[in-house]
Amino acid sequence: MSRTLITNARLLCPASGLDEMGGLLVEDGKISAIGDVSGAADTLIDASGLCLSPGLVDLRVKTGEPGGEQRETLETASRAAVSGGVTSMVVMPDTEPVIDDVALVQFITNRGRETSKTRIYPAGALTMGLQGKAMSEISLMQGSGAVFFTNGDWPVEDTSVLRRTMAYAASCDVMVSSRADTYALSAKGVMNSGARAARMGLSGLPREAEWIGLSRDLLLAEATGCRLLVDQVSTARSLDIIREARDRGVEVYVSVAAHHLFFNETDVGDYLTYCKVNPPFRNEDDRQALIDALAAGEIDAIVSAHDPQPPEEKRLPFGEAAFGAAGLETVLSALLVLVQDERLSLLDALRPVTSSPAKLIGVPQGRLAAGLPADLILFDPDKPWHCERENLLSRSLNSPFDGRRMVGRVMHTIIGGETVFQR
Amino acid sequence: MSIPGYSYKFDHKHLLSIEDLSRLDIEHILDLSEEFAEATRAGRRPEPHLKDMTVINLFFENSTRTMSSFEIAARRLGADVVAMPIAQSSVKKGETLIDTAMTLNAMSPDAIVIRHSASGGVKLLSRKVDCAVINAGDGTHQHPTQGLLDTLTIRRTKGRIEGLKVTICGDIMHSRVARSTTLALHLLGAEVTLCGPATLLPSGTEHWGAARTTHDFDDAIEGADVVMMLRLQMERMNGAYLPSQREYFRNFGLTKERLARAASDATVMHPGPMNRGIEIESAIADGERSVITQQVEMGVAVREAVLKLLAGRRV
Repeated sequence: MSRTLITNARLLCPASGLDEMGGLLVEDGKISAIGDVSGAADTLIDASGLCLSPGLVDLRVKTGEPGGEQRETLETASRAAVSGGVTSMVVMPDTEPVIDDVALVQFITNRGRETSKTRIYPAGALTMGLQGKAMSEISLMQGSGAVFFTNGDWPVEDTSVLRRTMAYAASCDVMVSSRADTYALSAKGVMNSGARAARMGLSGLPREAEWIGLSRDLLLAEATGCRLLVDQVSTARSLDIIREARDRGVEVYVSVAAHHLFFNETDVGDYLTYCKVNPPFRNEDDRQALIDALAAGEIDAIVSAHDPQPPEEKRLPFGEAAFGAAGLETVLSALLVLVQDERLSLLDALRPVTSSPAKLIGVPQGRLAAGLPADLILFDPDKPWHCERENLLSRSLNSPFDGRRMVGRVMHTIIGGETVFQR
Repeated sequence: MSIPGYSYKFDHKHLLSIEDLSRLDIEHILDLSEEFAEATRAGRRPEPHLKDMTVINLFFENSTRTMSSFEIAARRLGADVVAMPIAQSSVKKGETLIDTAMTLNAMSPDAIVIRHSASGGVKLLSRKVDCAVINAGDGTHQHPTQGLLDTLTIRRTKGRIEGLKVTICGDIMHSRVARSTTLALHLLGAEVTLCGPATLLPSGTEHWGAARTTHDFDDAIEGADVVMMLRLQMERMNGAYLPSQREYFRNFGLTKERLARAASDATVMHPGPMNRGIEIESAIADGERSVITQQVEMGVAVREAVLKLLAGRRV
């Protein structure tokens, strides 16, 4: 029986509200005791000056596996993930082939187990081939381990298909995740709509596209009783729309991409394609509203929205470049910067990346409690560092954080009791 | 222009956007352009400032006038000009764009004049080359030499820019000319009104220097010293921006009756090519108020000035 003893840590568990100095004992991959622990151990870790919290559970990661391995594989993504403190990843179904049947769900699960340092959970495609026409075998895929269902970057356009699919999903008690968008308004857009886009001669992604799509998704969730995870909210008014739905009793959860807490549209600067993401970076008012909502506990999950893109997809004129940002290695720091700025408490910063998303997908980790898997991180919440693309571990280095000064760094990552990363 | 105690130096490596220029920069270019224009009118050949230099014209978008204008300007200054018109269809998008720039750069030209269909495309290329890059139009973003030649034409015909009322009417949204000219005029003290249908008039034009915007052409043209009509770019209209050409002409076309509302000595401009009968009446385009051919003439002069200032530079 292997024993790892961590001592002198600041223990942080957002689920229980625990925030105190102490130690933690890991036995056979599981947490066996918390607090005042001592005794013999195979491995002894002195965590003086560091925080000990559950590892991060990231609900939105894209790799290129299968079909786009030059961008990223589960293995390379997991290397980036553990250095950023992410210990569980939900991978999106928009791959080649699309993860829309049982065998592919099993393939992802198996590949994850064989090659990835982190735990891998597949999200299943909501419709066959993500075409938005025919619903996929939701119930069977759920049985094989798909944790929720989504049409990925391309939400279902046909409202009637979405309604039926949500009704069916509700009957299987699965969660549907949908990015709020309206193609008719956003199809040609490349950055946030408004004065800046107009001046730069770029076509805009209007906020109304998000609001209309969001309103539609919420109304259908209400009508069908489907559990809805709104994928990557980006505007202040979207939060109002969600509050109103919550007041009506709709079971809706919200995610925000970590980069939306850090950047606004001015960061696009001189056509910086690494800042081309969808939903786009919005105005400062929107960014502030997202931070306020996070502090108020209205955001259920902060996601990395990791979307690796190789240079040939980014070294293009802005309009032609691919959307997407590498994010696994910066999600925790993006939150710790807000803690440093006293916008959030440490526990409030950790909750939407640990216990809250873990609960949404029904996995036991994400908390510090005896008997649970020992997926843990040790981090220094005050350590400054400079994000440089070349030092990132992801196979694709398209990080908008390149060149930024960051605060807070993961020093040690443990999954199932095993050290998988050490800085 | 000189101020005692201050020295001015044109300190740019490229010309990518009017946004990169100061009022002094613009006035410097205009003064120099004026000299070139006078020399041409007097039948004099300018000094061969670009002797033994190579200028590459790299046009990813079809253009006859702008490319010829740059070519004539460069040749007048004694440069060797290599024209590379690359139809958008024949270049596979992607890394090729940057590859093309790097390939040309390896041939050590002294200046590259680039037109590209993507906003920001010329800037992207400029990062990959060592020589001067002149933006000859990037998507719907900027066309700085057009902004300069419009400004020069107005300064010559009106004797000043400061305090003039200039009305620009048409497809503002898709116009790199509007973005360039509005800002250049604003920097020199003109009061610019932008006018167009709601679907073609973007928000936030105050950031490009517009004093006001309106959908009412009759109102916009009232008392204007200069009326500039923009081409209704049919090829960019991918849908229902407008109900019909005739409705557009009715509300936004420049007619004799409308022009009568402008100042009595108002001049009429158009960056070309014109759609006669859609945005402008033929009689006006060819009439005595029109300075459209002067714009073309000033185009060569401005490009001579810009090439002289930039070609061969390694800042």
